[in-house]
Formats: sequence, C-alpha cells, structure tokens
Amino acid sequence: MKLYTTLSCWLYCAILWSQGPPITGDKPIMLGGKSFTVKSLTEIRTTQRGTSTYVPVMLHYLPSSNSLVAVHLPLINTRFKGEETSFSLADVQILGKYQFFRKDATGKTFRIIAKTLQTLPTGKALDIIGQSTKKYQGYYGVVGGYETLKYGISSEIGYNWSPNATLDEFRAKLGFGLPLLKPQYPNKQINLYFEYTSMWLVQREWYQLLYAQGIQYALKNITFDLAIQFPLVNDLPEARKLKQSIFLGSRYTF
Amino acid sequence: MKKLLPSLLIALIASSAVMSQKSYDQFQIQVDGLGCPFCAYGLEKKFKEFKGIKKITIDIETGNFKFQYPSDTTLSMSSVVDQVKEAGYTPKDAVIKRADGALENFSSNQTKENNPNQAQQQLAVHGNCDMCKSRIEAAALAVNGVTFALWNTATKKLIYQTDTAIPESKIAQNIANSGHDSSLAKAPTEVYNNLPPCCTYRKK
Repeated sequence: MKLYTTLSCWLYCAILWSQGPPITGDKPIMLGGKSFTVKSLTEIRTTQRGTSTYVPVMLHYLPSSNSLVAVHLPLINTRFKGEETSFSLADVQILGKYQFFRKDATGKTFRIIAKTLQTLPTGKALDIIGQSTKKYQGYYGVVGGYETLKYGISSEIGYNWSPNATLDEFRAKLGFGLPLLKPQYPNKQINLYFEYTSMWLVQREWYQLLYAQGIQYALKNITFDLAIQFPLVNDLPEARKLKQSIFLGSRYTF
Repeated sequence: MKKLLPSLLIALIASSAVMSQKSYDQFQIQVDGLGCPFCAYGLEKKFKEFKGIKKITIDIETGNFKFQYPSDTTLSMSSVVDQVKEAGYTPKDAVIKRADGALENFSSNQTKENNPNQAQQQLAVHGNCDMCKSRIEAAALAVNGVTFALWNTATKKLIYQTDTAIPESKIAQNIANSGHDSSLAKAPTEVYNNLPPCCTYRKK
C-alpha cells in the first residue's frame, strides 16, 4: 500500500513537474530572475541492505538572474532486509546558489556558481546517505558548466560537513549532455546524459565512483528524465554496497 | 435611404476597425549566452512581463530575438537591454524600429565605438547571418589596437578602425581563424567545417 502511495506520488510529480539537465548532477544556468520551478527527482536506490524510494518535492525560486533559493521536501519509503517497511519524511534540505562568473557568446555560455545545501535532521535515523540520516549536514561546493547548442558539460566539487556524524564527504561530479535532435525553439529535445559521481566519506573511508546513463525528453518548460546509476568503484562494507539507483524526474518552470 | 443605411454601416465598421488597429514597434536583439533551448524559454518568460508583447521569435542558433510591442506605451532601449540582463543573458546588439519609422540602436561594443577622428578601413569578409556578424566583429576586436569593428550582413564588408598601425593581414588572419574567409586570408578547413549550418558560405 505504501509502495503504491509512493508510486502514485511520483506519477503525480511526473505529470506536474519536471527536472532539468543534468539529471544526477547540478547546473549553473538559472532561468530568469523572479521565477519559480517545481521539480521532483525520485530515486529508487537498491543496495545490499534493501531498497529505498526517495521522492522529493523541490520548490526553487530565483530572486535575481544570478541567485537561487530552494526547499526540498522529501518522503522516503524503505524495504530493508529484516526490517519492517517504513514510510516517512526524509531530511528536509535548503539549497542556495549564487552565480559569480558568466561568460556568454553566441549559442554558448560558461558559468560558475557557489552552492550550499543545508540538510536538516527531519528524517528518521536510517543512515541512508543523502536522504534520511537525522543529522545536520552542510554542503559547500562550486558548480561549473559549459553549455553549447552541440553539447553540455557540467562539473561540481564540494565538501559535505557533518559536525555530529561521520558523514563528512568529498564530492565531485562530471556530466556530459548530448542533444539528439537539432536545437529548436520552442523546445523539442531528446538529450542523452553521461554522468559520473565520485563520493568519498572521509571518516568511514568509504569510496564510490558512480556512473549514470540518462535520457531526457524536454518540451518548452517541462522535462521528463530517466537515468540508471550504477557503481564503477564500490569500496563500501559488505551489506552496504550499492547495486543500482533508478532516477525518474520531471520539472516545470513558471 | 435604403442604400444610404448600409453604406453608413460599412463606413462605421471600417472606421472603428481603423481606430482599433494598434501600431507596433519592432524589436530585434542579438542575445549571447543562449546555450540551449531552455535558455530561450527563460528569455521569453522574462519578456512576457512586458504586458502587450507580441510575436516573440527566438532563433537559438543565431541568438536573434525579435518581438513587437504596442507603440502607444513606449518601451525604451534601456528597459529592453536591462530585461535581457535580468533574464541572465548578454545583450550584444539591438535595433528598435518605431512605428513612425524612427530607428534606435544599441551595441555592447560601445566602449570600442566609432571614432570620427580615426580613418575607417574596409575588408570584404564572407559570412551570412547575425551569428557570423557577431563572430567576425569579435575576431576583429580581439586584435590589439582595433578600436571599432562593424560587419554588414548585406554588403559583406567589415568596417574597422585602429589606434595603431596594424597590418590588414593580421586582422584578416584572426577573422579567418574564427572561420571566415576574406580577400586576404582563408579560414582553415577544420574551423570552417565546425561552423553552424547557417554560417556556411562556401559553395559546395
């Protein structure tokens, strides 16, 4: 029943909201000051512990063309071996971005932003990293991106600080986007994404290098995303190793 | 009387149609930074804050952004330029053709503008569109000492000024390296082949 509720939530999100490029990474381009974007990026993560389904509802607001504030309200459903299925609120996150560098040319742009993601201890203590830990964490990073009509490159580097937990983490991301259709406006795009994520939990000495293969269907102000992420390096203790994650996303800008 | 009534009615309808016909100013802006179709959506969304805006078209390959706006509520050049910046993009050139025929221009190269005390020189440069114009002018201005550059899409002539003695071949070579042949230098094939389709000018 709870799984049904979760899937229903996602379907609702998929119909109403859409997630933009890149899929598992972040982007430095902001679409106009004083605008809102509602999005969702459901992650169905399967590890040796079991499966968790994370459904965030994200509300983004751009006070100006170079700044963004957002709140992420997530729900989580877990089905772990030897544990009862649970459905609860996960860790609420507050996101802030500030673009401090921009270089534009005809049909291309290069931008860099500073980013912070504050994770509040609102979820259950499930030790699901990035989703439900019941620990305060503060992530500080820099996102850079070069976007042209032929391809897009996005990158991110940052550090997650957790004063009351062993969740300190060096994080790096690199993504490539490739449009399959001729660029046109109003939009009708099918984009392929090739994204890498490197995560090193310093205190636990856990390391993961993940690869995500994604596809995106984009219309004028709505997108639909699908990606599968799997580990290339999975240096985690037994019973915690990642098998794969499936991402289903959508975004609507207004 | 029977003939007069329909004539009066037609005249009344015609005059009210003329009265209700609005005149529009035409806007054309060259916008840099539109790296994806979504960027174009961000630009359009921002300009829809101008109530009454009509016929918005954006060519994302060239960055050519056009729209119409009622002439009775004058939209100034500075408002248009600021709105592009507010949307998060860079306005490069803009032209407003007012309903009464008056023209207004804006160029981001205003710091490198035409100096009447310097002699103008001309160079024939191949190209097609506004995207070519942007590339050619940028390549010319990238040469140290070039203070002004303006390429005309119709005449295919680049007019430029320099504040020091620069060999014309040096400017032509820099333009060729960006993908555009001139009477003095030819673009490398690999650079030319990487030009967007709208910019290719060599006959096959």
